[in-house]
Amino acid sequence: MKKTSMTRRLFLLSTGAAATGLIVGCSTAVAKGKGYSAIAGAFEPNSFIQITPDNKAIFYLPSSEMGQGILDGLTTLIAEELRVQPTAIDVRQASLHEDYKNPEMGMQATGGSNATRAQFLPLRQAAADTAAAIRNAAAKQLDQPLDKISLADGQVMVDGESYGFGDFVAVAALMPVPENSALRSPEQFDQIGRERPRLDALSKSTGTAEFGIDAEVENLYRAVVVRSPVLGAALESFDASAALKQSGVVDVVQIKSGVAVVAQSYWQARKAAAALELNWGKTELGSWSSDSIYKNFTDSLNDSSQKGLECCDEGEGDKLLDQSETVVAADYYAPYLAHATMEPLNCTVAVEGDSCKIYVGTQSVQVSAGAAVYYGDFDADKVKVHPAFLGGGFGRRSLGDDVAEAVAIAKQSGRNIQLVWSREDDMNNDFYRPAALVRMQAGVSKQGLIETWAVRRVGPNIMGHMVDAWLEVLAPDYLNKGFTDWLSKLGHPLFNRFIADASNGDGIYGDYDTPNKAVRHVTQDPGLRTGFWRSVGHSSNAFFKESFIDELAQSAAIDELQFRLANMKNNPRLIEATELVAAKAGWGKPLPEGHFHGLATHSSFGSAVAQIAEVSIEGTKIVVHKVTAAIHCGMVVNPGIVRDQVEGGIIFGLTAALHGEITLVDGVIQQSNFHNYPMLRMADAPEVEVHIVASQEHPEGVGEPGLPPLAPAVANAVFKASGQRLRDLPLRLS
Amino acid sequence: MINFQLNNSPVEVDIDPDTPLLWVVRDHFKLKGSKFGCGMGLCGACTMHVNGEAMSTCTLPISAVQGAAITSIEGLGTPDNLHPLQQAWVEHSVPQCGYCQSGQLMSASALLAKNPNPSDNDIEMSMNGNICRCGTYSKIKLAIKSGAEGMRTQGSMVETFDPADGNAISKEANS
Repeated sequence: MKKTSMTRRLFLLSTGAAATGLIVGCSTAVAKGKGYSAIAGAFEPNSFIQITPDNKAIFYLPSSEMGQGILDGLTTLIAEELRVQPTAIDVRQASLHEDYKNPEMGMQATGGSNATRAQFLPLRQAAADTAAAIRNAAAKQLDQPLDKISLADGQVMVDGESYGFGDFVAVAALMPVPENSALRSPEQFDQIGRERPRLDALSKSTGTAEFGIDAEVENLYRAVVVRSPVLGAALESFDASAALKQSGVVDVVQIKSGVAVVAQSYWQARKAAAALELNWGKTELGSWSSDSIYKNFTDSLNDSSQKGLECCDEGEGDKLLDQSETVVAADYYAPYLAHATMEPLNCTVAVEGDSCKIYVGTQSVQVSAGAAVYYGDFDADKVKVHPAFLGGGFGRRSLGDDVAEAVAIAKQSGRNIQLVWSREDDMNNDFYRPAALVRMQAGVSKQGLIETWAVRRVGPNIMGHMVDAWLEVLAPDYLNKGFTDWLSKLGHPLFNRFIADASNGDGIYGDYDTPNKAVRHVTQDPGLRTGFWRSVGHSSNAFFKESFIDELAQSAAIDELQFRLANMKNNPRLIEATELVAAKAGWGKPLPEGHFHGLATHSSFGSAVAQIAEVSIEGTKIVVHKVTAAIHCGMVVNPGIVRDQVEGGIIFGLTAALHGEITLVDGVIQQSNFHNYPMLRMADAPEVEVHIVASQEHPEGVGEPGLPPLAPAVANAVFKASGQRLRDLPLRLS
Repeated sequence: MINFQLNNSPVEVDIDPDTPLLWVVRDHFKLKGSKFGCGMGLCGACTMHVNGEAMSTCTLPISAVQGAAITSIEGLGTPDNLHPLQQAWVEHSVPQCGYCQSGQLMSASALLAKNPNPSDNDIEMSMNGNICRCGTYSKIKLAIKSGAEGMRTQGSMVETFDPADGNAISKEANS
């Protein structure tokens, strides 16, 4: 867990952002800022909670809801300590304010599966202090001793009489807000850990949940953008005369990423965009195709003069590799991947004079606001972001490129506009999960213990591209734009040559007890921009590590489960998850004819997950019948959501394992829509069974950890079923 | 001018005849529950009922729905008056991000209108046009079965359409 948050923190520190005052001390729940709109007569003890005179409890949700269930989870924390039903709380998405910064990240953003972990105590404290304030006010107002006053189910109980919270808000507002009030203990919990329907299920089952694309404002025009077929190429010239003649078209404007058509309706804009004539310059990416990229990675992997950057060096590193009883080596590959959120990127902008309103589903209100300031030339205090539900995030909605385009179009055309990306725009203009070619080597003792673990990795980084996308929009607006633009380009040399991007090492060495470890990464980047993709480095590293562990077990002729357990003695959470999944799936027990089990175990984002895939082969088709999973994620807030997230990670991971591959020809992405970048559909979705290890430890990540073990669990089962060790993703039998 | 029934109300619209029904419903009639996902009829996020049949509307030109009866998610049920499937969706916490669920519900409700007791295979065949990136497929299947059971035991309104002109001709309880 800490590895990923460290990556993002490292980014801020290493780009000099800290020195420029970018990192504001991360505030916790008790900060007294105004991060909300005042409501007449309401008690406002902090930026998260308001209690109105008519007994309404309002919670300002600091994290983005993109399906992971954080709206439900964090509201449950408030409900637990405030002593109200979760369903009785009016939940509103928080707009930009420093009080809503994620305490681990130091910025107002949602990612890295840390929202519950990072806010578990601060939000409960905010609610507990609010509850204490209401009790204190009730004691004073009713002239009763404090110990006679209790809160339950949204009521203040005094001597058998019950009152609404709202009856005491006027007095509470005049009294000091208590601090460090006692939190409820796990034995007292009646909301945390309880299974009930998630709070956003009703709006999302009736078409009434508002996503970014559903925004409507007065006098709204629709815009589409035509961008370079090769990402990053500069526009040399364009002819909009034919497009401008099309029905409904009101404007054509050039922006940084391409040319935008503005029309009365989306369909008019989309049709007219096809009539634009554009001439693009050349860019280095245009000289690369998937074949040449793979060859370049291979040459680099084999060229030992390229030392790369150190991700891990423990004990004797790889020096003793040859001294082990058995040495195993194998090369693995994972391709570029697109996010393919169901809701294509979009952003709605309403401009009034020198201020603007932004309506968008975003993983970072802060990045979205910053993009409006930088690319729309607005003063920071004139930008208001209205966050909406996200139709999927998975890391894609954290870049601000949607807002950057939309504000530029609105500004130049002088109109309120809604920018809508097509699916093709989305697939061809992503920040892709980086490809990687990896050489795994290990020395194993006669007893089957791993003595040396050596990894050499080749591929692009993420952080250089993140700095490029983020620095301008996160930098303070008093900095000169030319300076921040120049600074933003320094991320590439920095992370390519000097600082190892931690995501390259995430999850490729930590789970097993090996005394000697060496992990190095050599950067080879054709220039295709990369980004955070659900579970980030773990998404490919777990496949490399867990497939290779099976190879080690098999070369030592030891059962794959026993081999793992013998080599993870210092990893108690993973042991518990592994033993649980083995028992539940019946590891080693007979299966139907032609069915085989594959196991994979992996820790990420603070949680440990073990999975067993049951697979058969039909011709060259891999059929996944069932996946059994166990997760150790500490304390659970809503068990149904934990199981759903693990299952969702499994389905997302299976789409990638069986189908996922972004390829290039002369720099042009070859995939465009769901016919050539297919998603797993219902008929191919396996039965999934998720078990949760009971725990009272602090909660850990849930949104991402279910994904990484899936691909190796399937690949390991495929090996048992077919004898073919598939070392490249996606998995294809020959 | 194109005339059709939208959620049981007659409507008319004067718009480019090749405009897909999805955008007419979303941006002209401001009913935002149906979603844009792919623009090629590949993902099902835009599914509505056209004369009772579940259809992708991102590729269906408005000129083709002259005289037809269209039902969008807003016509299936409301938060105060849920269709039994929506009730099942909530009880089983089906949605994650929720973006595809309107389309999933429209496909599922069209299935149950024809087949009140679908097998797993029937469900998979009917739902295979609807992608869910969050991976809620098992919950969808579960909710369809429990919604179907609810409809069989409680009865529900079933609309019948005249195959000639697509107009609704009767609405009756199915028990």
